Amino acid sequence: MTALDPERKRALFDATALPLTTALYNTALRLTGASADASDLVQETFLRAYRTFENFSLGTNCKAWLLTILYSVHINQRKRARHAAISLPPEELESLPDENAAGGDQRLPELDERWGPEVDRALRDLAEPLRAAILLVDIEQLPYEEAAVALGWPVGTLRSRLFRARKRLFATLEGYARATGYLRKPVRPE
Amino acid sequence: MMAQHPLGEEIQDFADGRLTPVRRVDLEAHLAMCPQCARELERLRWVKEGTARLPMHEPPPDLPARVALVLDTEDRRASHARPLRRYLLPAAGVLAAAAAVVILVTRGPRDLPSAVARDFATYGTAALSLDTTSGDGPALERYFARRGLAFRTRVFDLGMMGYGLVGARVHRLNSRPSALFAYRGVDERTLVCEMFEGALDELPRGGEAREHDGIEFRIFKEHGLTLVFWMEGSVVCVLVSDVSGDDVVRLAYAKAVKV
Repeated sequence: MTALDPERKRALFDATALPLTTALYNTALRLTGASADASDLVQETFLRAYRTFENFSLGTNCKAWLLTILYSVHINQRKRARHAAISLPPEELESLPDENAAGGDQRLPELDERWGPEVDRALRDLAEPLRAAILLVDIEQLPYEEAAVALGWPVGTLRSRLFRARKRLFATLEGYARATGYLRKPVRPE
Repeated sequence: MMAQHPLGEEIQDFADGRLTPVRRVDLEAHLAMCPQCARELERLRWVKEGTARLPMHEPPPDLPARVALVLDTEDRRASHARPLRRYLLPAAGVLAAAAAVVILVTRGPRDLPSAVARDFATYGTAALSLDTTSGDGPALERYFARRGLAFRTRVFDLGMMGYGLVGARVHRLNSRPSALFAYRGVDERTLVCEMFEGALDELPRGGEAREHDGIEFRIFKEHGLTLVFWMEGSVVCVLVSDVSGDDVVRLAYAKAVKV
């Protein structure tokens, strides 16, 4: 986008970016875990996006562009806070859950709205990079390529982390389904 | 058919629609024969479905004002003198909308165009506020489904035409359930769309009939508003706005699909 008249820039930004507030807030909330932190993150994201709005190509995916900024701001804030969760040991990201107990041919229960709190809880328990992959691909429905750019990873890394994230979520949710009787507990051989 | 089990990530590629047609056919054949891999696919889809259905949390009510404040501050920083025009144009729009509210809200029983026009006039007031704000069309479609609307909605993207989605509301139009969603244009003008089960036959005489790309459109004018109706399957869609009539028709033509 070429340099814009200030009024037109603000009008375009209001019409293009601000309607995505709810999507950004939900991603921020699930990244930070706290409403106040999520609001701060969204506010800072919009400010940075506004300052660099000339870099955005109208007609391309504005949500992907904003999520790129949001994740970058989030990572930088976390680095400044020296939060340990960002630098998990690689084996934590690469390992898969033990599925020995997850076998069986039982039909999986429908994950309807009643499961929302449990799915949210399982998401919170994921290592942050795994959670970010789920947030951008499964919840915000970004294509792999755009999610990879937003997270600053190669597409192969995104694919691999997404797979591990889904496997872990499955293990957690299946465990919950068994504990609450939605699935029968596996019968152990005598 | 592949002899070995595919990697889990390849099954994920299948679930996400990322395989080439040839590879997809190979994997489909394998899945039909291999309960273990079919089970893996079922699990991945189960998790995808569960996360895609997560409820959206509403942002704190003060967040839009906070964002507007930092953007205003940034504008002032960039330019100390703000042109007066920026304030006059929205003010004129507000006055026109207020006049339409007075005229439309005080009328008696309504036909469909009058009811839609009244919704437009009261949109943004306490009488007709949005249930949820989002610029994400698919998320709003999921929202309508979660709220139990019995028909399929299609919240179309008008970003390329200068209109951003603002949010949605499960509404009642003349006592029937309707999906209402709103857009804001670059010039701060509003566009409202409603979808509800019905037929064009229910519309009163007097509207202008047009046909475009095999779709029948009925156009009505009400107190400076333009309303364009068309059918998508068994669902009536209507776009309404106070922008120029040609623009509303053009937007409807661009987004209507034959079902």
